[in-house]
Amino acid sequence: MTPQPQAAVGAPLTRVDARLKVTGQARYAADFDADGLVHAVVVDSGIGLGRITSVDTAAALALPGVLTVLTHLNAPRLPYGPNPGMATPPGERLHVLEDDRVRFHGQPVAVVVATTLETARHAARLVRVEYDAEPPSTDLSTATDDTPVTYERGDAERALRSADVRLELTYRTARQHHNAMEPHATVARWDDGRLTVWQKTQWIHGAQSELAAVFGLPEDAVRVVSPFVGGAFGNASRIWPQGVMASLAAREVGRPVKLVLSRRQLYFGTGYRPGYEYQVRLGSDGQGRLTAMTHVMRAETSRYETFQDDILSIGQMLYDVPAVTQDWRTVPLDVSTPTFMRGPGGATAAYAVESAMDELACELGLDPIELRLRNEPDRDPTSGLPFSTRRLRQCYATGARAFGWHPRDPKPRSTRDGDWLIGTGMATGAHPSWSVTSLAHVRLDADGTAVVQSATSDMGPGTYTVMTQVAADALGLPVSAVRFELGDSTMPPPVGHGGSMTTPSVGSAVQDGCAKLRREAVELAVKDEESPLFGAAADDVVVADGRLYVRDEPARGETYRSLLARSGRDRLEADGEYVPAGLPFSTHSYSVTFAEVAVDARLGLVRVRRMLGVYDVGRVINPKLAVSQAIGGMIGGIGQALLEHTVTDHRDGRIVNANLADYLVPVNADIPDLKAIYLEGEDDKVARIGAKGLGEVVHVGVAPALANAVFHATGRRIRELPITADALL
Amino acid sequence: MYPFTYTRVSGTREALAAGREGGRYIAGGTTLVDLMRESVERPGALVDISALPLHEVTVTEDGVLRIGALVRMADAAAHPDVRTAYPVISQALELSASAQLRNMATIGGNIMQRTRCTYFRDVTAPCNKREPGTGCAAREGVNRAHAILGTSDACVATHPSDVAVAFAALEANVHLLGPDGARTVPFADFLLRPGDTPRHEHALGQGELITAVEIPAHPRPLRSGYLKVRDRQSYEFALTSAAVALHIRDGVIREAKVATGGVGTVPWKLPAVEQHLIGERPSETLWTAAAEHAADGARPLAHNGFKVDLLKRTVERQLRIVGGDA
Repeated sequence: MTPQPQAAVGAPLTRVDARLKVTGQARYAADFDADGLVHAVVVDSGIGLGRITSVDTAAALALPGVLTVLTHLNAPRLPYGPNPGMATPPGERLHVLEDDRVRFHGQPVAVVVATTLETARHAARLVRVEYDAEPPSTDLSTATDDTPVTYERGDAERALRSADVRLELTYRTARQHHNAMEPHATVARWDDGRLTVWQKTQWIHGAQSELAAVFGLPEDAVRVVSPFVGGAFGNASRIWPQGVMASLAAREVGRPVKLVLSRRQLYFGTGYRPGYEYQVRLGSDGQGRLTAMTHVMRAETSRYETFQDDILSIGQMLYDVPAVTQDWRTVPLDVSTPTFMRGPGGATAAYAVESAMDELACELGLDPIELRLRNEPDRDPTSGLPFSTRRLRQCYATGARAFGWHPRDPKPRSTRDGDWLIGTGMATGAHPSWSVTSLAHVRLDADGTAVVQSATSDMGPGTYTVMTQVAADALGLPVSAVRFELGDSTMPPPVGHGGSMTTPSVGSAVQDGCAKLRREAVELAVKDEESPLFGAAADDVVVADGRLYVRDEPARGETYRSLLARSGRDRLEADGEYVPAGLPFSTHSYSVTFAEVAVDARLGLVRVRRMLGVYDVGRVINPKLAVSQAIGGMIGGIGQALLEHTVTDHRDGRIVNANLADYLVPVNADIPDLKAIYLEGEDDKVARIGAKGLGEVVHVGVAPALANAVFHATGRRIRELPITADALL
Repeated sequence: MYPFTYTRVSGTREALAAGREGGRYIAGGTTLVDLMRESVERPGALVDISALPLHEVTVTEDGVLRIGALVRMADAAAHPDVRTAYPVISQALELSASAQLRNMATIGGNIMQRTRCTYFRDVTAPCNKREPGTGCAAREGVNRAHAILGTSDACVATHPSDVAVAFAALEANVHLLGPDGARTVPFADFLLRPGDTPRHEHALGQGELITAVEIPAHPRPLRSGYLKVRDRQSYEFALTSAAVALHIRDGVIREAKVATGGVGTVPWKLPAVEQHLIGERPSETLWTAAAEHAADGARPLAHNGFKVDLLKRTVERQLRIVGGDA
């Protein structure tokens, strides 16, 4: 078929849902209502490990308006069937309110249901829970490991022994909570044994299959609705106990129940980026050619589930190192299970590896970019596969020029501005570009407008907008004539909205469905004697602005509207499908981040002055949204590098900064001039649409760029994140 | 949150009557409401005093500045008389909280705000300030943000206010009005160190109201300013801070007013530093030598030892910023 004119894809379209969001009309989970709705509030454990010895609910139940208090003493046991449809970690999910065990501080131990939120909150405070407490083990640095996951290529020990330069370095990263603006929220309603939930989720069908498994229902007896997500960063990829408790409470009281976690409760049992210890050893020859790299990693996980993120990729594929070993151990602690957080694993590994590379560059007296160029592989060193696209060389060159990297005095403390020491740093990032099977449905109505559906989510990157653009071009309609709908399990399923997979996967399914529908319309026209297109070759017909015409004879054509009206059809429909081709290529997105920081070494202050990210992500569907993503990724990296740290009191496992005053995320004042450059081009090996993922690679490598800049400014190598005043004094 | 009553009073007499019966005064509500949500504070009766006539900033002919207790932080910071006469007050206010909070919170409420100690704010943790006799979780717990000065075995929580540090430096007076009439308390006596009774934080009697904070006349010219050191550039409480005011005439420091925040259980006046400065000529070495006394008597805990040096450096830096490189 003739390629469609590209009008919408590549345009810096403003979010199609922007007006809804800024006028408060976008409905998030907690905004939904239902007839007879009542409210649930969770009571959290005040100990970190032990047993519940008694629960006194009398005072709570005595309050007018309180309908029930569910605890392990009276809550019905749920089936908790297996759920192969959802990638839950090995182990078994928390069966909330089913036994007297407290496994982590803040674990839900009761849920109160009342006719008003205020009553439920008051009653929750009146529930008296007594415990037999034990000392929990929550400190990664002192706890024992699980069996390791290992990787090996070449003989790293031998290569290290004969290396001209050897470094052995240990880095530590802090546990981080996602702190999305929207809290986890569920409105649950039962109708004749069927469950409907309005639920914050990044994975509509994952939520559906999980609730079905937990409650022992067929999947089609559960409907999940989630049209808007107020930020998630990976945290809404699975159903947390809160979603189960809301559904359970609704069933028990026979009325729809709303359960919204408080900001404080979001730190208890809803996942986080695990803290890591990451030891790297590097061996290199005198010219900076890496000969060996070993990685020993220890990560937090819970005792009931073994969470693993993608900590291994970066160490295996980023550089052309002949000998690599990896030894990765999870450490079971008396904590809740971690989960995916933007650039899961990669953002952690990149901090260690890219800091170590900077240390090696210093050791060798090489420019950090030059060191990376000397170790740039031609094929994926893990699999031996060719790269689909890997344009890091171009990222380095473009970035160095735009940032003004050269000339750079590599000597630490070489630039001063009053009380401030100025430094620059850079780091590389990569993130696997996966695509997965996805479905979409397309309908073109007689008025010439289209509705496209796929049960994906939009946690902020702009799925609504991007899919509208893809559909508009594939159908030959202006974007104003296309409406994209998502967030309902009655729609065709894609996979979860995460892993930077949505645009390549869902976009390709949308494009497929729209192309099929367009093709059907064209076939209809060229076979219709009354159409001006009668007899034209279908392959020569293109569609733009809702009008079908012969490419080389633009005057010959007609609109979708006239075609449908004449043929007596009130609509055309098509199903789009995308199945990854599984081509033998190594597919990743790439980033290079440059940072300039100012450090007041006397007062221990770090201030980011400017940052630049340069990205190789294949085709960019919407440059405005892509820049937005990059800014968000850099801000997240500033948080990871300088501010964010979930702090646990290891005496009793209490999280002591479970609020946004004490858990520091960057504020506007911390954010300087941030710039993003996306290399032009596409990658047709990852997905049909030509896009690689970009939502995570923009975050990977930000923290080490900042840490390297802090070193350049001060000569102090801080090997633990976040880099705070006390470390720099 | 617990049930409570809420009454809006329109006059001072009405307010005092309600206060005498155990009502808790509320104005901006930016601290109290948060603490009520967490059940840290459980007042049975709230008395909203926002309508009382305590909204004025005035300056007398002899230079005494009086800030009404209900003046909003934002308004006090922006007031021309405050800005020109006491940059240290304006700066301390503008480095506090967020713009939204400064538009709500009042001067009286600001100095009454309660500690940010996370154990105090977590009702599942022991805390002598919240529940006397339960112990102090912070002493042996996570205490990076806690006090190194004025602490006791019972409590190591900091007073979080910034502007209170400026008030302490400038030797302000707090005007009170109670059932037994009006009285004035020096700022140094208004906020109390924890000792054995960390629950008792201030000199207010039952039902007493703060009506104004008064800054006595200081000799002119007076250079002043506030420095706040913290990890995040906005919306964070101080790790350390320094309020400095210097009266320099004929090249000699005649008066020095210095206090620090983020390090003390109350805003911490530094008389030893002040004494070191008076009668001397500004110089780098003077700032360094004077600041050496800033942490005298500090008792650091496991995680806040860095504050000892940081405090000295903060004071040194702010002396230089205010006093000049000389």
